[in-house]
Amino acid sequence: MTMAVELQAAVSVIRELFGAAACSCALATEDGAALRFVAADGAGAAGIIGVTLPVGRGIAGWVALTGQPIAVGDVSRDERFARDIAEATEYVPTSILAAPLLDPEGETIGVIEVLDPLRGDDQSALGGQRGTGAELAALTVLASQVSSVVRLSGMVDSVPGVPPELVPALAALTSMGDGGVRLAREVLESAATYVRGVR
Amino acid sequence: MSLPAWSGAFEDLSTVRALPLPGDAREWAWGGSTGAGIKVAVVDSGVDGGHPAVGGVDGYVATVPDPDSESGVRFVDGKHDDLVGHGTACAGIIRSLAPDVEIYSVRVLGENLKGKGALFLAGIEWAIDNGMDVVNMSLSSKSPNLFGPLHDVADDAYFGNTVLVCAANNAPGPTYPSQFASVVSVAATSGQDPYTLAYNPNPPVEFAAIGIDIEVPWTGGSIVATGNSFAAPHVAGLTALIRAKHPDLTAFQVKAVLHAASQNAR
Repeated sequence: MTMAVELQAAVSVIRELFGAAACSCALATEDGAALRFVAADGAGAAGIIGVTLPVGRGIAGWVALTGQPIAVGDVSRDERFARDIAEATEYVPTSILAAPLLDPEGETIGVIEVLDPLRGDDQSALGGQRGTGAELAALTVLASQVSSVVRLSGMVDSVPGVPPELVPALAALTSMGDGGVRLAREVLESAATYVRGVR
Repeated sequence: MSLPAWSGAFEDLSTVRALPLPGDAREWAWGGSTGAGIKVAVVDSGVDGGHPAVGGVDGYVATVPDPDSESGVRFVDGKHDDLVGHGTACAGIIRSLAPDVEIYSVRVLGENLKGKGALFLAGIEWAIDNGMDVVNMSLSSKSPNLFGPLHDVADDAYFGNTVLVCAANNAPGPTYPSQFASVVSVAATSGQDPYTLAYNPNPPVEFAAIGIDIEVPWTGGSIVATGNSFAAPHVAGLTALIRAKHPDLTAFQVKAVLHAASQNAR
């Protein structure tokens, strides 16, 4: 539950930051064969959450398989891409930014996508930093943070009996990146040990 | 801040001193060459050989997981599709610069996130074992576990006279084999001239070619895209031209020629 809430908040903020039509986050399924969309905000959001796509297809699949971010400025002439997206979201973007969520070993645990980030006006918080390259840089940094959120939230969700007041404190640790996640893991393991002892 | 990673290194480049080549360096390097007789492997998502920009593929091999084999990987010959469009983009760019090269599609991106490092490694090994002159890798690994194996295979290529051309990852941070000294590493720079070539005196990423908001072939047509991925095949194409014109050059001599033909070389 923690993860769904955190990711929904993340994609909402990222969509606003880019002034984008939509932002979505998909996580790799346990068998590594697919990406399942778990959070989305903006156009087509209702239709994409819960959708599972084979990992070997499309822009998101390439990002997941290679662990690399990519910016595609005009997908409108790619028939296969458009059909994939249309089937999945009923929203066909013109441009797309996508970045992987990576674990510390460099393995892909998910993908975050920004559809149709605005350009040429003042509606993006990136302001003068707009432009494909800068946007890709910003999304890569954000994806790193989201990856920490995913890993930490997964830990919180998997440990029964974590006091609710501990959750925001653990979430704050994510801002410290991988070091914070390691620290949070130690805290959680200690808490779990304590809880087991009390019981 | 500007990305893809390492793109910024190629703004306001200082001049580098290169080995003197006879006459105009670029003319000497690849003038009149079409890439004829050179085998180029595109290690990627597969290649759509029927795409008009690709103009045919001379061989296909796909790496697939095989738990029963010692390496965990099996090679599957025969025509395959491009799972994404990315490999087709790379092949089309290479063909645009070197129209007469033989292109081989080595598909290493499969249908599962697990075990993909082994497929990537096996694909590079296939290219070396099958006498490829140039290998384009518009992908790399961040996995520390692959550092050693990829380093070994990059050395095998270097000593075996196969030139590996590797895109730097679009995101900052070390990736392999792109930052090994034995490979030709490439980042994207702006512009539309496909013969753009620049050398970065502050490696590990050494060369730049165009790859920012450029039109590239893609499955079903073309797209406008940005990435170091699209810069690397430009350098792979130029490398193929050099190798066709100067077949006796070793891998490290080819890199020296690329250095000398860079626009900031004097």
